[in-house]
Amino acid sequence: MLNMTNISKVYRSEMVQTHALRDFNLQVNEGEFIAVTGPSGSGKTTFLNIAGMLETYTGGTYELDGINVGKLTDNGRAELRNQKIGFIFQGFNLIPDLNLYENVEVPLRYRGIKTAERKRRIERCLEQVGLGARAKHVPAQLSGGQQQRVAIARALAGEPRFLLADEPTGNLDSLMARQVMELLESINKDGATIIMVTHDPELARRAQRNIQVVDGQICDFKLYQGGAEQQRATAGA
Amino acid sequence: MFIHYIDLAWRSLKRTPIVSLLMLLAIAIGIGITMTSLSVYHMMSVNPMQHKDEQIFAVQLRTMDQDASWWTVDNLPHQLTYQDAMNLRQSPVPFRQTAMLKTGFGVKPDNANIAPFMEVARAADSDFFAMFEVPFAHGGPWDKRIDLQGETVAVIGAEMNRKLFGGGNNVGKDIVLDSVAYRVVGILADWKLEPQIYDLNNGAWGNNEQLFIPFSLLPIEELKSWGNNNGWKYEEQKTYQDKLNSEVVWLQYRVELTDKQMQQDYRDYLAGYIKQQQQLGRFNRDDAQGDIKYISQWLDYREVVSDDNKVLVGLSFMFLAVCLANILSLLLAKFLKRAPEIGVRRALGASKTQVFMQHLVEVGMLGLAGGVLGLAIAQLGLHLLRSGFSRYEQVAQMDLTMWLAAPTISILACLLAGCYPAWKVCRTTPALYLKTQ
Ligand SMILES: Nc1ncnc2c1ncn2[C@@H]1O[C@H](COP(=O)(O)OP(=O)(O)OP(=O)(O)O)[C@@H](O)[C@H]1O
Ligand SMILES: [Mg+2]
Repeated sequence: MLNMTNISKVYRSEMVQTHALRDFNLQVNEGEFIAVTGPSGSGKTTFLNIAGMLETYTGGTYELDGINVGKLTDNGRAELRNQKIGFIFQGFNLIPDLNLYENVEVPLRYRGIKTAERKRRIERCLEQVGLGARAKHVPAQLSGGQQQRVAIARALAGEPRFLLADEPTGNLDSLMARQVMELLESINKDGATIIMVTHDPELARRAQRNIQVVDGQICDFKLYQGGAEQQRATAGA
Repeated sequence: MFIHYIDLAWRSLKRTPIVSLLMLLAIAIGIGITMTSLSVYHMMSVNPMQHKDEQIFAVQLRTMDQDASWWTVDNLPHQLTYQDAMNLRQSPVPFRQTAMLKTGFGVKPDNANIAPFMEVARAADSDFFAMFEVPFAHGGPWDKRIDLQGETVAVIGAEMNRKLFGGGNNVGKDIVLDSVAYRVVGILADWKLEPQIYDLNNGAWGNNEQLFIPFSLLPIEELKSWGNNNGWKYEEQKTYQDKLNSEVVWLQYRVELTDKQMQQDYRDYLAGYIKQQQQLGRFNRDDAQGDIKYISQWLDYREVVSDDNKVLVGLSFMFLAVCLANILSLLLAKFLKRAPEIGVRRALGASKTQVFMQHLVEVGMLGLAGGVLGLAIAQLGLHLLRSGFSRYEQVAQMDLTMWLAAPTISILACLLAGCYPAWKVCRTTPALYLKTQ
């Protein structure tokens, strides 16, 4: 579904050039659940942004569902993003003036979903992240962890085929983190392809495939044939 | 989605109340001032008989001797001499025609409770009423026969009828003008013709007479002129007859020429008339000439809308532009501050067009609100004009066109000012603000 070959991304400011990504090669198949790890500043977020067409790249080719993204117009990218992609941002990026309900509603509106269906989805997703009772609150009235959960609900409500999650559990306690992980696993089971950046090795291990980004490149390729089985095997040894 | 945009716009305006208020005031004051000057301009440039615009003509003759000149742009006097008016009245060409004099009388009411008063009157031919579509409540114009012989009859306006008789049908009764009894033959319905296209000499507004008498009475009653009298040479005038024989211009003349052929015929007639008069020793100049101007030409020629008014409208639009420039910079600052939110919206699937529309709707709402407030300011401005300057009484008004124009201009102006900020913000790179909170 996702196919990146020799993708590079260079940030140019007046004095310095930062190579955020270089010779980045990755294939992701439909239905995969991939965990991305790597040191801070290694280019993980940059990779996700390019994968989600939020950012352009400086070199290489990127195909999504067989469509060469580099050839799309801005509106074309917006449409593709709207239809297929869900985001959980590293900073939660909720819109401060909107209450939780309305925040979750944003992508649904742009997708042209009818009011009744929107309401159904929003209530279900807020319920799933344990914030059903808080729908009328604004983000400033929530803790960091709660805000993170709203951001997750917002991504899930769109029922995206392709979910890009940037440290979705970064601000959550381990119990909540596990719940979120289970949520992600369940939508993965329903057919969504997920790429998740995480610093938590335990969560990473639960994914089907792990990739590590170091200095803008995929450095190590560990393939887990079903994360859970691997864990059991390690425990047994 | 549109309603959603309105909702978003409303929230956005509420979030920065001071800035919103500033922008609202800027647009409202700009629109208020523009609409004030535009309304005056608009009212002044109204043609009250648009449907007969190219049918009713003012007649002019260049009668001065070779070395004399007139002060008008085309070297033609605005009015006619008595001799010329009497001669032109013989022309068979026009469908209707009237010579006119602005005169006046002391009116002595029958009712002893009403003190005698001075009243402006218009001496005209019976065609006047039909030509200018003056509506009658009772009776009608005097007989055409009277246009030739002169008889002391009068048509009075509705107001005069109320003043003298307390209203009702009083056709057949007498009124006393300068101690001469005039029989009332017609009473007008309420009527207004402004600008007063049949005589613009003494102001274009608020001068419609309430008293009309036959022009043929002029030599009989020796009617005094209450209007302008202009001459180009010294002539001794001892008697009224001297004035009638003089080259003084003091009479208005209007003809109704219904089609192009009739208009050409009348031009030919005037040319022939001038030749004939030259043989009699008048019109001693090579470029002796007549001219006819239809209503809107006449309004333009007589500068009913003065250049001052035009300059004022121009200035007020420039002021509006300054207001818009202010709004533009306020909007730009406001919108760009919102770039992070827009980045999120873009990442969640909003297209550039949708972001652009969201902001245009906000600007449009501002324009609508500004237009409404601007209307209120314009009303205040017009009120001040009316109460401060009596000559603005009739023209410092807003008609339906202007009521509708205010919000339209306001919204369009705001959209114009908002385009650049909205375009700027919709070009926000989605990712730029997403990496950190
Ligand atoms: N807009 C930008 N302009 C210039 N340099 C940038 C920009 N965005 C990212 N970078 C640089 O690119 C590199 C990769 O950044 P990126 O955000 O992808 O790292 P990351 O792996 O997500 O780090 P973290 O784990 O801390 O989130 C960093 O060195 C960063 O400084
Ligand atoms: Mg990051």
